[in-house]
Amino acid sequence: MTKAKEATTPVLRLTDVQKSFGPVHALKSVSLEIHRGEVIGLIGENGAGKSTLLKILTGIYQPDRGTIAVNGATMKFRNPRDSASAGIGVVHQEQSLFTNLTVAENIAMNGAASKGYGTTFGFYRWGKLNKAAAQTLEIIGSRLNPKTRVGDLSFVDRQMVEIARAISVDTSKNATPLVILDEPTSLLERGETAILEREIRKLKDFGSVIFVSHRLDEIIRNCDRILVMRNGELVADRVTTSVTEDELFKLMVGHESHATKHERRARPVNETPAIEVTGLTRKGKFKNISLSLHPGRVTAIVGTSGSGREEFSRALFGAEKFDGGTIMLNGRAARGWRIPKAVKRGMGFVPAERKVEGMVGGFTAAENIVLTHPGDAAFGPFLKPWKRNKIAQQWFTTLDVRPNDISQNLERFSGGNQQKVVMAKWLNDPELRVLVLDHPLRGLDPGAAETVNEQIKAACKKGTAVILLADTLEEALEMGDDVIVMRDGIVSASYDLTVDNPSTLDLLERMV
Amino acid sequence: MAPTQTSESPADVKVDTAAIRAREQVTARRVVFAGSGEPLALIGAMVVLIAIFSILNPRFATIENLQNVLNQASLPLIIGLGATFVILIGSIDLSVEGVMGASGVAFVLLSANSRGGQDTGIWAWVLPLLLAAALGLTSGLIYTMLRVPSFIVTLGMWFVGFGIATILYGTDAYPELTDDTITLWVAKITFGLPNVFWVAAILTAIMAIVLRFTRFGRVALAIGNNEEIARSNGMPIIKNKIFIFIVAGLFSGLAGILATMQMGGTSNHIGDGYLFITIPAVVIGGTSLGGGKGGMFRTAIGVLLLTILNNGLVLAGVSPSYQSAVSGAILVVAIVATAWPQRGRLRIAK
Amino acid sequence: MTATISDTGTVAVANAEKGKRLRTAGKLWQAGGPLVIFIAMFAVVAILTPAFIGSGGITIVAASAAPILLVALGQAFVLNIGSIDLSNAAITVLGAILLAMLLGPLAFAAPIVVLAMVTLFGAVNGFLLAYTQVPSFALTLGTLGIFKAASLVVSGATTVYVSQNKDVVSPLYTTQLAGLPLTFVLGVVVAVIAYLFLRFTRAGVGMTAIGKNESGAIFSAVRTRALKIVAFALSGFMAGLAGMTIIAQAGSASAMGLGSDLLLPAIAAAIVGGTSISGGVTNPLNVILGALTIALVPIATAAIGVAAEAQNLVYGVVIIVVVALTLTRSRTAIVK
Repeated sequence: MTKAKEATTPVLRLTDVQKSFGPVHALKSVSLEIHRGEVIGLIGENGAGKSTLLKILTGIYQPDRGTIAVNGATMKFRNPRDSASAGIGVVHQEQSLFTNLTVAENIAMNGAASKGYGTTFGFYRWGKLNKAAAQTLEIIGSRLNPKTRVGDLSFVDRQMVEIARAISVDTSKNATPLVILDEPTSLLERGETAILEREIRKLKDFGSVIFVSHRLDEIIRNCDRILVMRNGELVADRVTTSVTEDELFKLMVGHESHATKHERRARPVNETPAIEVTGLTRKGKFKNISLSLHPGRVTAIVGTSGSGREEFSRALFGAEKFDGGTIMLNGRAARGWRIPKAVKRGMGFVPAERKVEGMVGGFTAAENIVLTHPGDAAFGPFLKPWKRNKIAQQWFTTLDVRPNDISQNLERFSGGNQQKVVMAKWLNDPELRVLVLDHPLRGLDPGAAETVNEQIKAACKKGTAVILLADTLEEALEMGDDVIVMRDGIVSASYDLTVDNPSTLDLLERMV
Repeated sequence: MAPTQTSESPADVKVDTAAIRAREQVTARRVVFAGSGEPLALIGAMVVLIAIFSILNPRFATIENLQNVLNQASLPLIIGLGATFVILIGSIDLSVEGVMGASGVAFVLLSANSRGGQDTGIWAWVLPLLLAAALGLTSGLIYTMLRVPSFIVTLGMWFVGFGIATILYGTDAYPELTDDTITLWVAKITFGLPNVFWVAAILTAIMAIVLRFTRFGRVALAIGNNEEIARSNGMPIIKNKIFIFIVAGLFSGLAGILATMQMGGTSNHIGDGYLFITIPAVVIGGTSLGGGKGGMFRTAIGVLLLTILNNGLVLAGVSPSYQSAVSGAILVVAIVATAWPQRGRLRIAK
Repeated sequence: MTATISDTGTVAVANAEKGKRLRTAGKLWQAGGPLVIFIAMFAVVAILTPAFIGSGGITIVAASAAPILLVALGQAFVLNIGSIDLSNAAITVLGAILLAMLLGPLAFAAPIVVLAMVTLFGAVNGFLLAYTQVPSFALTLGTLGIFKAASLVVSGATTVYVSQNKDVVSPLYTTQLAGLPLTFVLGVVVAVIAYLFLRFTRAGVGMTAIGKNESGAIFSAVRTRALKIVAFALSGFMAGLAGMTIIAQAGSASAMGLGSDLLLPAIAAAIVGGTSISGGVTNPLNVILGALTIALVPIATAAIGVAAEAQNLVYGVVIIVVVALTLTRSRTAIVK
């Protein structure tokens, strides 16, 4: 390997790459270079533009502007196949292997190699296939048997297969092995993480790596250079030896923001909590979570994607099971906890996946609003559709839903207006005690986000307790009366914002 | 504000090499036994059934009855081979009985028969098989091109095939094959086994090779495992699916011809009941309705198990009326058993 | 039934595209399609066999449409929640056999007992579907085999004749209302009730919600499991009513006899009546037109000189063509 020569042409060069989704600038001019043998760390908060950048590199999105050059040649990735044949391989959290096929086959499935590789007249030459796979595996130092079914492998071994697949590129066609590891360790045990890290170091000998992780200690341990993204831009490009975790925190968050001082409801002393959770546990997801939430207060839960906060919030609503611990609503224990029961006892839930879980597409906005709590539009099990419109119209006016047409199919509204309707569905319950909001502002424009936040505050004024899984730390600090930080399934810190005044940096430190 | 998390330093990494070794040895051991558990259990069940039925009726464990069982198992096995391929890609073919009817009636009318038709020689084989393949092709095209779910396409195609059989059959007397050499050939014993079973066994071996050694077979497995990844890998999904439906049609058509030979004649109802043996047999053999998992030998075991069960029950004095209940109950139990571990509050089942 | 085990993202995209396409073609079809098809079919029959209209042909069509309509209404309920019931025609036959056997000893109580039994059969289907989460087509294919065998065993594989108390149900067929046999009127009444149920009860709207988006329904506190059981129980109940019309008409029942071929015509009637196989769309009133259209098929095929039994071919083609024309598709969704 002629390293000196390689160093002159970067294996990957992005120049002024931009991407917008409607009015949202997900990427605002990103330029970067990656050289052979480099391990690059890519960090940034949720929504900083990391995933958009990765999707452009893997051909899922096409950039609005800018160029991508591999080994000096400009490329257009129209689909994942193009990107794969250029040598860019991704190892996702959700793996993209065929679990019913063998290791060798999965390695051979890689884009450029998939046509006719190891076959003669459509017949497999298992011997050749296995030998090629064994060679590739040997490069990355794995001794996996190529004949093993991938479904029989452990998680970290499957990642090895993905890495092997990613690097088995056709170098004769100007391709280069560039492996993107997207949060590869978030589902691994400590020991497995160590194995993976060992492999990453080996990869340096013949390829380049982009390592995306929430865990800064990992990034610092493994990477030569660290790129920090914030608000769709690269805000820093640092050599690892000259940077500390503290600095990286600050770069990720930008300005260090504290909870804004506004009227918060202090934790009352002699009042029954609206919801009280003791030692809630689900094996492998979250452990021993307790919280106590009084009417009219907001508890914001923050944590990374593997922190278990989503699973915990779903368990509260009866959407997923839990193995141990208790939930008390208004002083009464929750038994046989399922969604209909939780709703009957005054709970509501706004899911993050709005189109899939939050609403019933195909129903009109009005039908969606009265689906769960029909109020006056029902008489026992019977419905009075003629009353439905009045209720829906009131909510449309209150929430300023546009277009102002309650009998339009909910699918036809914009995301923000759909979310308002989803909120209305729960707010139409006069007895709403606890509202769980899972990323309520996801994908909303600022106007709609403001309306939703106002409604959350209005509901609190009426005595509803709110559990908020916020998109950003700023949002958590602005809306919350309490903030709970979760990491790896446990509560790593909790703050009462009427007393404490943590900064975003403090929260981030407890998260990663 | 120092970082609170402590992790392994790079120096610790060496320790794990032993662990990797150990793990790799475990996987290697698992490879040897991979996938053999279920079939072994089924063979065990078969042995138990044979033992019980032998005690209940001494006629069960005779050479004649064994040949009888293999005779009965052959056609469901042939159909099952095509059905297995279809199910492996996560689809379903319900058109089996209709396609059998169409090819069976076409075959008898093109052969020397009691209605006075002329023997057309090789065409008596080629044309019915082409008809069956065309029905399969139509299913495949509508399924892939018009994106109609396979169960509804093939449900319709079942009755299209049946309708074709009915029209071909017309209103004349039951047509019987007049050439005895044809009718006797299927049940004739060669090397101790009936000819029709040899046909089924050879086809099973061929299909097992196709599944194991051809790109066509492996792509089918990949589609069944995860069609989205298969698509993003640029695999020829549509071509593969259409071809599989043609193969399934051909096998059903061949079964229709062989059934006609077994019966010595045919009506449009020649295929009745075969779907109810085939699908439960494929499923109990361990081919999952979700796709991606299963195989041809598994189907063979499933068919044998079910045939032995039915045959044994009849010999034990149970009315043949119960036959479809046995198949139905086995289908229900098999799919419930497979779906059981995946149950969940938020899981969607249609 | 397109995405049994598919990730939520795909469903989201599918639903989004579904919305776009449904609007124009779909809405139009739902509103007028079944009527247009019925009129076209009727016109064909009227032109080819003018004598048919005058000579009590309407009564004959209505009588043969009655069992199809009842089974189709049950199927429409199941299709509306996004599933399919392949066993309901077998329940009809079993119900008819049970009724024929029980009319003698139980007289007026027999229909009630039989209806209770078939409703329970349907509910068992629904229970298995809701709690084991297996695909409905495979499940009901299995139970179809069981019901078929039950019919054979209960009837002793012969035709069962009603020995006594035949007049408990026979007036259903012999009495006519404006030239229509009471069996058909019964079907129409059931359709109207079904329509009201689906539009004006929380349970009915909940079922439609399941068909349109089951995840959304779950998170909206719709009792999805209970409603699935109810939908299948109703399918069983209506199949039982169809069995009753068969006894009223024929006075006898057998496992291979009248009613055993109802499955496909009934699915075809539901689909021609504007019911979507992907769930969430049905109008029981249009299913009446669908059933009448399907009942005209044998007459039309006879009129153009094809063997009456070739109607099966027509049913098969009709199902495929109507589904292919009305299906809402998306480019990205995976179809199994």
